[in-house]
Amino acid sequence: MNIKITYSWLLDYLDTDANPYEIQKYLSLSGPSVETVEKIGDEYVFDIEITSNRVDMASVFGIAQEAQAILPQFGKKAKLKINPLEKYSFKKSGLLEKGGDDNLDVEIKGENLCSRFTAIVMNSVDVKESPAKIAKRLELCDIRPLNNVIDISNYLMLSLGQPTHIFDYDKIAGKKMILRESKKGEKIITLDGKKINLPGQDIVIEDGSSNIIDLCGIMGGNNSKVDENTKSILFFVQTYNKKNIRRTSMLTGQRSVAATYFEKGLDTERVEPTLCFGVELLKKETGGQISSKLIDIYPKRPKEKQVRAYLKDIQRVMGVSIEEKKITSILKNLGFKVERFENDELAYPDSVFFDVTVPTFRADDVDIKEDIIEEVARIYGYYKLPSIMSPLVHIKQPKDIEGLFKITQRIKHFLKTLGLHEFMNYSMISGQMIDDLDMKKGGHLKLANTISKEIEYMRISLLPSLIKNNIENKGKKDELKIFEIAKVYKKRENDLPTEKYKLAISADTDFFDLKGILTAIFEELNIKNISYKNGDYNLFSKNKSAVIYSGKEIIGFIGALNEKYIEKFSLKKDLYLAEIDFEFLIKNYSDIASYEEPIKTAIVKLDSTIDMSAINYSDLKRQAFSISKHLINIEIIDSYKNNLTIRFYFADKDKNIEEDAAKKELDSILEKVEK
Amino acid sequence: MNLGDTADLLKKELSKANDLDSLKEIETSFLGRNGHINKLLKTLKNAPQDKRKELGISINKLKQETVKLISEKKDLLIEKSNNKKIDITLPGKKYPKGSLNPVTYVIEEISSIFEKIGFIRMSYPEIEWEFFSFEALNMPKDHPARDDFETFFMDFPKHKEYGKMVLTPHTSSGQNREMRRLGKPPIRMINIAKTYRPNWDASHVPMFHQFEGLCIDEKINITHLKGTIEYFVKELFGNDREIRLRPFHFQFTEPSFEVDITCDICNGTGYLDSKKSQKCRLCKQGWLELGGTGMVHPNVLKAGGIDSSKYTGWAFGFGVERVMMMKEGTGINNMRDLYDGDIRVLEQF
Repeated sequence: MNIKITYSWLLDYLDTDANPYEIQKYLSLSGPSVETVEKIGDEYVFDIEITSNRVDMASVFGIAQEAQAILPQFGKKAKLKINPLEKYSFKKSGLLEKGGDDNLDVEIKGENLCSRFTAIVMNSVDVKESPAKIAKRLELCDIRPLNNVIDISNYLMLSLGQPTHIFDYDKIAGKKMILRESKKGEKIITLDGKKINLPGQDIVIEDGSSNIIDLCGIMGGNNSKVDENTKSILFFVQTYNKKNIRRTSMLTGQRSVAATYFEKGLDTERVEPTLCFGVELLKKETGGQISSKLIDIYPKRPKEKQVRAYLKDIQRVMGVSIEEKKITSILKNLGFKVERFENDELAYPDSVFFDVTVPTFRADDVDIKEDIIEEVARIYGYYKLPSIMSPLVHIKQPKDIEGLFKITQRIKHFLKTLGLHEFMNYSMISGQMIDDLDMKKGGHLKLANTISKEIEYMRISLLPSLIKNNIENKGKKDELKIFEIAKVYKKRENDLPTEKYKLAISADTDFFDLKGILTAIFEELNIKNISYKNGDYNLFSKNKSAVIYSGKEIIGFIGALNEKYIEKFSLKKDLYLAEIDFEFLIKNYSDIASYEEPIKTAIVKLDSTIDMSAINYSDLKRQAFSISKHLINIEIIDSYKNNLTIRFYFADKDKNIEEDAAKKELDSILEKVEK
Repeated sequence: MNLGDTADLLKKELSKANDLDSLKEIETSFLGRNGHINKLLKTLKNAPQDKRKELGISINKLKQETVKLISEKKDLLIEKSNNKKIDITLPGKKYPKGSLNPVTYVIEEISSIFEKIGFIRMSYPEIEWEFFSFEALNMPKDHPARDDFETFFMDFPKHKEYGKMVLTPHTSSGQNREMRRLGKPPIRMINIAKTYRPNWDASHVPMFHQFEGLCIDEKINITHLKGTIEYFVKELFGNDREIRLRPFHFQFTEPSFEVDITCDICNGTGYLDSKKSQKCRLCKQGWLELGGTGMVHPNVLKAGGIDSSKYTGWAFGFGVERVMMMKEGTGINNMRDLYDGDIRVLEQF
């Protein structure tokens, strides 16, 4: 979360000689990140990022307290002028005495909803404009001033970091409040006029007529709000269970400022000074008088917490020999109590240690010695620590992992060189796409909480994504050849899915263009013995698909997208698709091709045109090699209709082959294949 | 053919020759083994005794003349050929130009930077049990990052020990996996992988990439974290970029930091001009946020079976796309451009 505060407001709490820009620079290095300082008129406005563990810092006082610890490290004066935690208590403010006859009947249903409940009634309130100082400060900090009562509530939140709420006391029916969990479907109209349908388990307050008058920790109800006619108010300071608040805020979309505080969990001890300071301000600015006794329901006071940290441990993690007295002064300035001990019998880890008492506002955040080390190290200054390269050691990278990254990189660049484009698609696809391609949803892992139907099922193949890419890029290019290398996820029983890498390619040119790309990949990786057999896939057109084998192992498939899908997706051109097991490539690649001695004797080349209507090329090739012992290579020179012109290469590695002998071998090949 | 005819024929042929190939043919037909000159020489033995010497001298003269004429013609033709003009401004032959997603290039660069200092790149499940994504990282059950708004859950029965199945919301789940794989330190790991969060709007995408660094050993302290990240930043972004560590909060590290680097657009000043009238829109007053890092939390070491009194470590997790967009010259400043799959965007890289 971010908060805005002003420089002059900060100076209410802090005595310092640091200017706004010094404060920005130094606080950012050692504490909260002051993202910007903006000069507006004669004021400076800080925009400060507060990390989720330090909601105690999300106030002018919280920042002053940090500054008190940080600025002296940079040679700047910084001392708290007021510490509201010490200045205010119910007792010191006289709030424990009976204040009047107004009454409120409070019932809390359910444990762990509200860790502290305080309230007090004030009458004779004069609702009017706020004094200029308060209104201006709020406005500079992005809060719109409304009237003195509401403004004080907001002013308190920014001053001390504890949101409060103020009801019109006369609008609370029966002067009764029941704090409880909501039921699903209950409704409230909040202060901003929004009608909210409650998801259930929200913390709400019901009055004596069963109206919900507050969506606790988020926003008050419209039915009990303070307006210009308000005379009596109920001043209300609470801390709630942070989980309920976050849940309600997220589910209803009501991300109010108060919610961003409450959902982080607030210090129950800060309720007291906030209420006292609030009463002081309300008396002064609205003329209000206390007219009820103080209500304070506080089921469980926090226990004081101690953490032990050894001097050596602090020095070990920081990597420098920080002095003891520096450690104690840093911690004390942050509000910790520190006791130093020395025990020579404790050789390990160190004889010197500190017992550190954690202030209640840091109770959620500081538990172990590392938390203490962090406090010391950051205030000491990370910028002061030297930069040293981590010591070099050798860790063996598993071979299959090494191969994965190496081949991925190589194939990506190889395909790019061939003119293909890499796409990175989401790992999830839509149920619609699965249906459209007549695949089964049941075979896919499904997301339980997807945010869009477009990304609901984990891919078991990359091809649906590539088809989608082709649909979405339809007509943008004359020719589109794309690829993706990514994991697919196959469901298993009672276990994580398998995650296997695939290489998928699509080309809107022709089958042999795509097949040629695959061949080029296999050649680039020196992988031999790849063969293609007719395939039968629903995804592809009949007779235009193949299973790809390496020996007897199936390693992928290739085919022309079935005409019915071309029609369904109104694709303008035919689409050819292939998917290969990437792990096969990783296991079988070799960096250097195996060497074959060049043939040094004569080679006779003979061309022949063959009618292929009765035989396919791969059978022809297989037969030719089995018949002729001097055939060393065959090559397609030309094709026309069913005819192929094929060049046959003959050689005898022991002596120069005679042309007649070669012709004879070709004749016996032709006799066999043309039969 | 007699001597005179041969000389005439040579002149006639040479005058017709207009390229080096036809000149080569002429040379062979006159000076070759069966050429006209050799044929004339063969007639010598049939010539009368008294004329033989004279004839011999004449043939020899013709031969020298032939060699000379051919050589002169050759020089002429070479010069002619050299003087032939081509329009060197015509385009070259068109070869196909492919492309890779910009993320690929950045991943390659990051791996290579860490490889040089002995960090091995690893790979872990993208679909994980809650235990590895959260518990093992010191993130308790009620941590906001674990709710439906921050993490994708799978529709799958819970594991008895490890809880629900999730799509990894960060690469940090690899930390525990690596500790288990190696059994004990030293660990030097880099994990670059897809990560997923339920957030999809004008500038967010539900899938993106992170890279995680993990270093665990004896005597590892904050100074090592600083040194290593500084090395990385200078390698990737350039030697003139500075880093700062800011205190931050993460469950799996303690102390935790956020790393900022100086902005290259405004040179770390926060303003685009020397009069400080134009604010830099890219950075926060001179600093760009790189990502989160910190010393590995003792509970995380413990979950990985590592003795936290003996070993310490640091870890970081940065966004790949973020780093890419922070690098000079890519020009892409919206995550969606990388994943919306528009060929007109992707083909440029």
